[in-house]
Amino acid sequence: MYLPDFEYYAPDSIAEACKLLSQFGPRAKVLAGGTDLIAKMKNEVLKPEILISIKKLDQMKKIEYVPGKGVVIGARSTHNDLVNSKVLNEKYLSISEAAHQMAANQVRNAGTVGGNISNAVPSADLPPIFIALNAAVKVTGVKGERSLALEDVFAGPGKTNLTQDEIITEVIIPDQKMTGSNYIKFGLRGAGALAVVGVAVAVQVENNVIKDARVALGAVAATPVRAKKTEEFLKGKKVSDEVLAEAGVIASGECKPISDVRASAEYRTDMVRVFTKRALRAAIDKGHV
Amino acid sequence: MSEKNFNVIGKGKPRYDGRVKVTGAAKYCGDLKFPNMLYGKMLGSPYAHAKILSIDTSEAMKIPGVKAVITAKDVPSLKYGISPARWDENCLCIEKALFVGDKVAAVACVDEETCYKALKAIKVEYEVLKPVLDYMHADEDDMPQIHEKYAKNINTEIHQEFGDIKKAFAEAHYVRTDTFVGQRCYQCPIEPHSAVCIWQDNKLTVYSSTQSVHYFQHYIAREFELPMGDVRVIAPFVGGGFGGKLEPTGLEFNGAALSRITGRPVKMFYDRQEMFQHNRGRHQGTYKITSGVDKDGKILGCHVDFQTDGGAYTSLGIATAYYAGALLPLTYEIPVYKFDNRRMYTNLPACGAHRGHGAPQPKYAFESHMDNIAKAMGIDPLDIRLRNARRPNTETVNNFKVNSCGMKECLERAGELSDWRKKKKEGLPKGRGIGISTGSFVTGAGYPIYRTDLPHASCMIRVHEDGTSATLYSGTVDIGQGSHTILCQMAAEAMGYRYENMKMVASDTETCPLDFGAYASRQTLMSGSAVKQAGEEIKRQIIDMASTMLNLPPEDLKCELGVISSISRPKVAPITFEEVARRFFVLRGPLIAKGVYTPPRLGGTFKGAPVGTSPAYSFCVQAAEVQIDEETGKIDVERVWDVHDVGQVINPVNLHGQVHGALYMGLGETIWEQVHFDSNGKIVNGNLGGYMIMTALDMPPITSEVLEDSYEIAGPWGAKEVGEGATNPTIGAFRNAIFDAMGVSVNSVPLTYEKVWRALKEKRESENK
Amino acid sequence: MSNMIIDKDGVRRYVVSITVNGDEYTKMVKSNTLLVNFLRDALDLTGTKKGCELGDCGSCTVLLDGKTPINSCLMLAVEADGREFITVEGVASHEKLDHIQEKFIEHGALQCGYCTPGMILSAKALLTRNPKPTEHEVREAIAGNLCRCTGYINIIKAIMDASGQEIPM
Repeated sequence: MYLPDFEYYAPDSIAEACKLLSQFGPRAKVLAGGTDLIAKMKNEVLKPEILISIKKLDQMKKIEYVPGKGVVIGARSTHNDLVNSKVLNEKYLSISEAAHQMAANQVRNAGTVGGNISNAVPSADLPPIFIALNAAVKVTGVKGERSLALEDVFAGPGKTNLTQDEIITEVIIPDQKMTGSNYIKFGLRGAGALAVVGVAVAVQVENNVIKDARVALGAVAATPVRAKKTEEFLKGKKVSDEVLAEAGVIASGECKPISDVRASAEYRTDMVRVFTKRALRAAIDKGHV
Repeated sequence: MSEKNFNVIGKGKPRYDGRVKVTGAAKYCGDLKFPNMLYGKMLGSPYAHAKILSIDTSEAMKIPGVKAVITAKDVPSLKYGISPARWDENCLCIEKALFVGDKVAAVACVDEETCYKALKAIKVEYEVLKPVLDYMHADEDDMPQIHEKYAKNINTEIHQEFGDIKKAFAEAHYVRTDTFVGQRCYQCPIEPHSAVCIWQDNKLTVYSSTQSVHYFQHYIAREFELPMGDVRVIAPFVGGGFGGKLEPTGLEFNGAALSRITGRPVKMFYDRQEMFQHNRGRHQGTYKITSGVDKDGKILGCHVDFQTDGGAYTSLGIATAYYAGALLPLTYEIPVYKFDNRRMYTNLPACGAHRGHGAPQPKYAFESHMDNIAKAMGIDPLDIRLRNARRPNTETVNNFKVNSCGMKECLERAGELSDWRKKKKEGLPKGRGIGISTGSFVTGAGYPIYRTDLPHASCMIRVHEDGTSATLYSGTVDIGQGSHTILCQMAAEAMGYRYENMKMVASDTETCPLDFGAYASRQTLMSGSAVKQAGEEIKRQIIDMASTMLNLPPEDLKCELGVISSISRPKVAPITFEEVARRFFVLRGPLIAKGVYTPPRLGGTFKGAPVGTSPAYSFCVQAAEVQIDEETGKIDVERVWDVHDVGQVINPVNLHGQVHGALYMGLGETIWEQVHFDSNGKIVNGNLGGYMIMTALDMPPITSEVLEDSYEIAGPWGAKEVGEGATNPTIGAFRNAIFDAMGVSVNSVPLTYEKVWRALKEKRESENK
Repeated sequence: MSNMIIDKDGVRRYVVSITVNGDEYTKMVKSNTLLVNFLRDALDLTGTKKGCELGDCGSCTVLLDGKTPINSCLMLAVEADGREFITVEGVASHEKLDHIQEKFIEHGALQCGYCTPGMILSAKALLTRNPKPTEHEVREAIAGNLCRCTGYINIIKAIMDASGQEIPM
């Protein structure tokens, strides 16, 4: 295969990177781990003329807990950084586990959190669990920083609501009342398979009553989506197999999957039912599994 | 019977090529570099069926670094193929392109990158024609004709009948018809195809990632009207083949033409998507089977009626079409048999010989059909197989002579290992099921691919002047199956020498005597027979020399592991192979020997009778246990048991590795693998992310056993095939395990989770009615 | 960028210093030169293989910073500037094979050998990080290395044996 020519920049600061992105406009793309971008360029799915490497921006690599803010994940953290992060293992193992389900080891060692979000692939593994945990992203552009809810980042397959000059710098998992969360990826083989369905849930359960719930679905719509009717249904319900099964049925009505070579829309819809139920059960029983 | 006191064979000797492969030193074709070498690529058609109106190469030629751009007018127009029954391919398309990726032009450039740029700059004007994409409707009146010569897009048609099938069905206690559907799969070796062509001083040298240097030499010489002696084909290390590297790809022909034009070595290569397009993988087919059985489930007659998708060219597909039905009467004694098959042309990539050549999908259909019969009649699946199992020293209804055959023993042992009886009696937990299936395969094809009276295998052994090593010269190809290792073991055994001192020069038409190469599971028996003969001749000469040195009669001497000693006088000091060999060289010159192998005349006289003939057949049984997730259809494989009758084992480590690998491919085709096309005939998953071969996380535990006492009279030391037979039973075993677990039959492969889910859903819906 | 020149055709060429198996190489590359091609073409280290070129097969696995397996087909040579890598050629020391390499040969954990360099590097990285992995961890560690010959069984056995543990299956 052949990687088409491009101009390459590796700026020393985020400000400089944003300036370059602004200067070159849609001809430029940010290069982080490259696992998605380089493959898409070889396949000519993406044809950027300029790549802005963020390899020198080491401040975007940290994963830490900031009191009052939450867990802050630098956007250049790789999937395996999430898998191995002590902070995440302790507070949100569900995030580490979601990261662990992506692709295979070599790709997890290179592919970044920022990349996984900004590529806006509908089947991406991290966005559903981030959305379920009400995560926000911090983005930096030429005009400065802003923060937006993760679920508001996506505009469609391969499309985000970020402006051309903006770079995702952090993902922030706020302190929360949720008592458990879980992501289930249903892929067709043990590794290196895109999700046919990805279901992430977070629940606040007290005295066996669901006080709050968030359900996010991946790979079953043009973007990761919240299953808001399911969430509403769950609020105030006593935990029971019947309630969780019913939640699955409602969630399956909230997705709009496509049929492709991996699975039919009908199958995906039913798998949303099954895995919503199972993800809820795991989150309720095991906490932040 | 077999003499079991072997010194070298039967032992798990380390691979001959182990060290160079674990250190990265092994050079595969794509790793080769030559001074002044150019890089070349071929341009593929973007349309499945299109008339080529014009090709403008002028823009491409203007790009700096582009040294040559060729089209059909620059290469021979002689049609080629691997199967002489239908030569239907051109080096570059002349009038029409017949599938997406069909080769229309080629370039040679200073580097890889320039090749891609040059291909983009070639302007081809096409008239897009309606493509034929559905093999089940390819013969309909409104379908365009793909090849002028072959009406209704029928590539080949087979009609064979052995005995009176109507009568057999009329006399049967139970007659049943089932239909099953297969999918397109691809061999997917991890090493992409490549070829380095060097045309210098009227001599053409081709390094190629090939399974057969001889067939490549034959076809390249034919295409360019060169004497065979002026074409040298060398296979460096080959990164897997599985049938897909048996035939020319066009890389060799166009590379040769480009080398002739530029006067420089040219390295041609495919990328992964192009490999999928070139294909030569598994045919997909629709398999209708009708059997009549007596009240005990004993088969009285079978009629198999198949239609298969061959793609745009013949490839090795005539043989595939015959194999599809010819091998079915092997594992079971079928007294009356009717076999119909039509291989259709479509505007899809050509299908060819994929591990288990033609057999695995029909076998899936047949083994599933057997379980349907068993279930309908209330017979245990193991019992119905035991009742029909082939016995040794029998002949199939289509005239294949079977010598050794441990079918019954394999069934019994697989039953024991898998705890079949207990599981059947006591039942398994919910969602759990066990299935069983049989397989068999040729140990080398009885006849060459093209008509010739050449021996199938030959070799030479030369002992080094001081006797400290011996070199085996053989035209065989080690594509990973380990043939170099076992041939060196066999040479050492026959010579009375040590494996560790063996060297090998192989896979080179100039330095090695002819061997047809790695296909049809032939090298152990056929090449091995030649090696045994040569080795024994070395030993005879060594003993003859030693006899004069020790002043003892030759019949009193034995030579084992490089030590020559007296049989009757244990006190006589032994002498070493090295001493004797050195003395031999001093007195008599080079110590060399040759071996040659030609199979006996085999098979019947009816049309197609040669396909499926073989000096010997392997037999095997697989049992599989699965756990099905009722809600998702997900299949978790608990364990697979494989019991094989392979005759004498030459290298147990290699042997079980072959079983693991064949089972791995078979299981991949069972659940995961399928090449998908869009509505224009373009592959949509031509990459290793989309075409899902199993990862290490998907591979179940395997128990692999062989029948210890098997001995095959036609094979060297009693050995026969293993590498392909193990792909045969796999799909059926899993289909039957799922059938056992859930009571649903999935009638098409792959048996995806979704198909299992759908079958369960349909079952629930019908039960609720 | 100071380490870049524009040649007479207007092509930008970058000077990179990349350390491979302990030796530093300073070479000129283009922006689109991939690490795998840098290793194979510029350094002639052809043990690093190309199988799929899209990060799916792991044939091109190399160890970043001597310990982290990555696919060199998805990394630009300019991105690798200043970094250290181990390729399969750097696993054995002089004439002595690494323990993992020995176990691969002993267990027949290779057939065609094309996936073997990547497989060995993934195994090496695993045992360096986790000297006593479970069988499942072994499978996880090599799940990004596709092998079409062995069915992985003997590879898993070899790695477990190399870790000094009981051989499964």
